[in-house]
Parts: sequence; C-alpha cells; structure tokens
Amino acid sequence: MSTSLWSLQTGDRGQITGFDTALADNYRVRLMELGFHPGELVTCLQAPAFGAPKVFRVANTIFSLDDEVAAHIAIELVSA
Amino acid sequence: MSKIILIGSPNSGKSLLFNRLTGLQQKVANFPGITVDVATGKLAALPEVTLIDFPGTYSLQPISGEEQVAADYFRSALDDPEVTQVFCLIDITRLEKSLYFTLQVIRECERHGKQVLVLANMMDVLDKHGIEVDLAGLAREIKAPLLPISARSGQGVDALLAKVKENLANGKKGIDAGIAATPDAILRGTAHQVAGKYGPKGDLLVKTQTRLDSFFLHTGAGGFAFFAIMFLLFQSIFTWAAPAMDAVEAVLGATADLVVPLIGNQTAKDFTSDAIFSGIGAFLVFVPQIFVLTFIIGILEDSGYMARAALICHKPLRLFGLTGKSFIPMLSGVACAIPGIYAARSIDSPKKRLLTYMAIPLMPCSARLPVYTLLIAAFIPNTTALGGLVGWQGLAMFLTYFFGMLVGLLVTGLVSRSREDHYTDLPFVLEMPPYRVPAWQPLIRNAWNRCKHFVTKAGTIILSVTIIIWVLGYFPNHGADLGASWLGSFGHFIEPVFAPLGLDWRYGVAIMTSFLAREVFVGTLGAMFGIEGADENMVPLVDQIQASGLEAASGVALLVFFAIALMCVSTLAILGKESGSHKLAIKMFAAYGAMAYGGAVLTYQLVSVFTG
Repeated sequence: MSTSLWSLQTGDRGQITGFDTALADNYRVRLMELGFHPGELVTCLQAPAFGAPKVFRVANTIFSLDDEVAAHIAIELVSA
Repeated sequence: MSKIILIGSPNSGKSLLFNRLTGLQQKVANFPGITVDVATGKLAALPEVTLIDFPGTYSLQPISGEEQVAADYFRSALDDPEVTQVFCLIDITRLEKSLYFTLQVIRECERHGKQVLVLANMMDVLDKHGIEVDLAGLAREIKAPLLPISARSGQGVDALLAKVKENLANGKKGIDAGIAATPDAILRGTAHQVAGKYGPKGDLLVKTQTRLDSFFLHTGAGGFAFFAIMFLLFQSIFTWAAPAMDAVEAVLGATADLVVPLIGNQTAKDFTSDAIFSGIGAFLVFVPQIFVLTFIIGILEDSGYMARAALICHKPLRLFGLTGKSFIPMLSGVACAIPGIYAARSIDSPKKRLLTYMAIPLMPCSARLPVYTLLIAAFIPNTTALGGLVGWQGLAMFLTYFFGMLVGLLVTGLVSRSREDHYTDLPFVLEMPPYRVPAWQPLIRNAWNRCKHFVTKAGTIILSVTIIIWVLGYFPNHGADLGASWLGSFGHFIEPVFAPLGLDWRYGVAIMTSFLAREVFVGTLGAMFGIEGADENMVPLVDQIQASGLEAASGVALLVFFAIALMCVSTLAILGKESGSHKLAIKMFAAYGAMAYGGAVLTYQLVSVFTG
C-alpha cells in the first residue's frame, strides 16, 4: 500500500518509492545523502506522542524526521 | 611546516580523535563567517605537523549559506601548499551516512593534488559486537588508503602516525582515485551501493540504542527523564556555579582591598576600585556559569541525549518558528542570557539560531530578579486571596516571568512568519547518535576555551562601558552626589522621556546605569534615595519608594519595561560576537528598547484607568 513515511507507526516498515514535488530539491538531495534513497527499507523505531518527530532507521543509521519532511517521502508498506 | 586537515561527518568521533592526536597543544579560533570553532593543534608525536579540525558536515554540496561557507573554506584550505594530507574520518558502524561525503572529500583531494587517508573509526564498537567488515575490499572500492582506528581506545593510532610519517617522507604526490571529474549524482549512487555491500549488517548495533530510546522517548518515562535532566541543568547554572561566582567576587574584592589603599590620589583610588575592579568583576562573574553550562551541554551532546531532548521539544517550539534545539539555550537564558547565547551554537539551522538569539534576551534572567523583587515589594500589596492560597506578590512575580517568555515566543513566531522566504533553511532531519559515555577531557577543554573566548571577546567591551558610566557618574563632583553628576544632569535632561511612565529623573538615571547589568538599577536607585547597600537590603528602599508617592501604575510599567528591554551590555557584546553581526545586536537593542518603552507607556495608561 502506498503512503507517506510519516504515516508509519512504531515497528512498521516501508520501502521508499520517491519524494513528492512539494519537497524542496535541496531537502531531497540531503535526504539521499543521508541514505534515504528510493528502494531503501525504512523502519519506524519510535512514534512519540503529541505529533513529535518520529524516529526512523535507514541502513544502520537512525534519524528523527518531522512531518514537514517525512510527509513528503512516499513509501510502499512492507509487511513484517 | 606541514598541515593535515581532519574532516568527517557529525557524530563520527572527530573531536575525540583530534584530542588524542594533539594532546594539550591546541588553539581554537572562530570559523570565518560562521559560529563554528576551528581547532588547530600540533601532533603530540610529530610536533612539526599541525592538525586542523574542520567542522563536521554531511556533504560538500551545501544546502544552506553556512554550509556553503564551510565547503568553500575546505576547498580554499586545499589550495594551501602547506596542507599535504587530509584525514577523512568515517563512522564504520554507520557507513551509509559517511561514505558519500568521503567520496566527495577524496574527489576534492584528487583535484587539488593532496594525499587523503580514510580513517574507519569506531572499530572498538565492531569488535565488541564481534562484527567484521571487509576493510580491504572497501578501500579497493573507494580507491583510497583506509586505516581502522578507534579514537576512544587509541587502537590504530600508532599505525596512523606511521602512515603520516611515510606520506611525509614520500613527498607530495596527491591521491589518484580516478573520480576528479565524477559528478555528485554518480558519487551518491556509488556511495549507496558500496555502503550496502560493505556496511555492517544486522540489528546488533542499534539494539541498545532502540531499547534506550524506548525509555527516553516514552510519553511518560521519557517526559519525566526530560524534566529531571533539565532541572539538573538549570540547577547547575544557578546553584553549582554560585560558589565559583562568589569566589570570583571574593578574590576580586580581596585584591581590590590590597591594591586600592596603595594608591594615593583619591580619584585614581575611586577609579581603580569602582571602575576597574567593578568592570572586571562585571564580566568575570559570568565565567563560572559559562564553564558549567558548556560542560553540561557537552555531556548532553556527547552522551547522545541532546538529540532526544531536541526531538521532545521540537513540535511545541516549531509553532513559534524555533526548533527543538532552541530549548536548552532558552532555558539557560532563564539563568543568564550569555551562556544561553553560547549554547545556541548547537543549532545547525542559521535561521533557527537567529530566532533563538532573539528569544533568549526575553527569558527572565536572574539579573532581573532583584529588580522585580524591589518593584513588586513596593507596589503589589503583600496580601493573599482565595483563603491564603494565592499571594498577590507571588502571583505578580509569576506573571512577570511568564510575560517575558511569552513575549519571546511571540516575537520569534511573528518574525519567523514574516521572514519565511529570506533564508534557506535546513530540514529537521536529526541524526540520533548512539548513547555513549562522554569523554571528559575534550569537554573540559571545550568549556575552558569557551570561557577564554568570552573573556577576550566581551571583556574589553564590558570594561569600557563600565568606565564610561563611572566617569559620567563620578564627575564633576568627584562622586559626592550622583544626582549632581553628569549622569544626573543627563537624567534631568531626559526626564520628559520617562514622564509618560509617571517616573522622575532618578528612575531615568537608574535605568541608564542598569545597562551595566539590570540589578544595578536597585543599587543606583538606593544611591539616589540616599540609602547605602540597597542591593543587600531592599526594605528601606521599598519604604522610600512607597513614601515618595510613586503611582502603582508606574511600578507595573517598570516591570513591563524590564521584562522586555535588552538592558545588558554583556549580552549585547556576546550577541554581536556570536552572531558575527554587531548590527543584529544594535537592532535588537533598539527594537526591544522601543517595545519595552511602548509596552510600559501602554501599561501605565491602562493601570492608571483602574487605579484612578
């Protein structure tokens, strides 16, 4: 199922399919530099309460992204 | 003389390696154009070689003006003929985030004919988990020499030094990796592919981190831990730094007692005691707070907790144009704006840092406390309501504190919305580093360097202003009567400015002297009313103010004025230095001054309506 990275909850996994056009080019480039490439598997490790930024694992690195960024990363849900 | 550049992505252990290689031989300078330190030091084992520690960055393809400065500075440093080698440090446990940057560095070195040595740090972590990485294969793929090291344990440092000597002996032939003309997009793809092939596999490395995050980011337990840690931080600035601050004052006082009697001329005597020693005391007294706060923030950063704290605070602060990383500088500002402004260095987004600078001086700092205490004691009745549950004076103090914070957040909220397009900004993509036990030595050195920066950069400004105000208050009658001094005359001259607040010239003079530090307002007002030691015991001054018939509306207006006005030369001095823009400091002084005055006039008018 296609959705955004922001919709993942703790323990969910998804495969990045792309970035939507609302995401500034320089943000997209920075995300790819950090390992958020299309095709990459991302796991949501923490989804704290009150809309706080979520914690994602990509490769062996862990990043926290807020909704302004994560909502523009398109993913395909991967069943556990 | 040979120079080596040390560069690497954030959280790769660069400071620790720099410290291990250079020992005590370090100098810290401000990075030109941005608020990042560049440390240089001679290699302890090879004193003819200088190591330059560059700021950590994820990419040489900048997305903010500040990153552009850093990238340009790196390229221009490569043009320096004395720079012969570059150490590129990578965190081998998190290869994906480091490798693209590493390839960019190798490419730049190839273009500039420099040698490069890729250092695979955190080998101790891999060894601890029994994980093996094909380093020889990785070195073949990136076509650069690669050495395994551990900055923490010292593993591989001897081999690194041997390699440096060998490179020095072999002359200056640069690296040939065949990527001098390769564009960024291709490098990015290669990095992704190579990291996937050679990076450590499995969940082992992130397991502990995930477990600890489940606690520290938990709604209940994590929230409690956050408050406990922030309480400790706040305590450290207020309580732990206090004995050292007292000691600084005591030593200065004792020195003044020794030196001043040796001076024959009375004017020179007064000048030494009240201008020089007071001026030196005015800035030295901040040093313990700066040291303690820098040290504790260092612990929070090094241990990995800072990133978690930023995450927790991000959402509410984003509403006001700030970031989660603004919280600690602002909290520090509640004790004192100066360590708070230094703490804002950890904010990587230039826009958010600027907004944080704007919020910090509005936090109710401890120097405002004596002013609030005096005014509230004088104008708010010492009675209670709701059957003794609520004291009016306590409530007034709370509201005044809260008012400053609220104004700070409103200012940043409004400015961030009005200037949205004027800045390029960084996205909130925050690396969550692993939890680690901090390495103490670099933290102590960093805190020490920060204090040195403050004393050398702000000290002269603070001392100069103290001397000017002393001269104005001392002459022409040699300190006999402040009211008849040049400062007093000036107070009379500008009395009409304070008339709309219902204040006479004495308050005007006290406000002007409070530019040295807000609490000076109390002592000056005491002097104007002929009371000795009003800053120690306010009761006689409170009685005098009440007896003088000053309206309550004026008292509340003064509270509003002090909650907003940026009346602190030390804050302005360090704001100018840290932001790299004296214009910003002057603009903020003028804007907050106008806001404070406007707010105070309005308050006076409104309260007058109710109190008649």
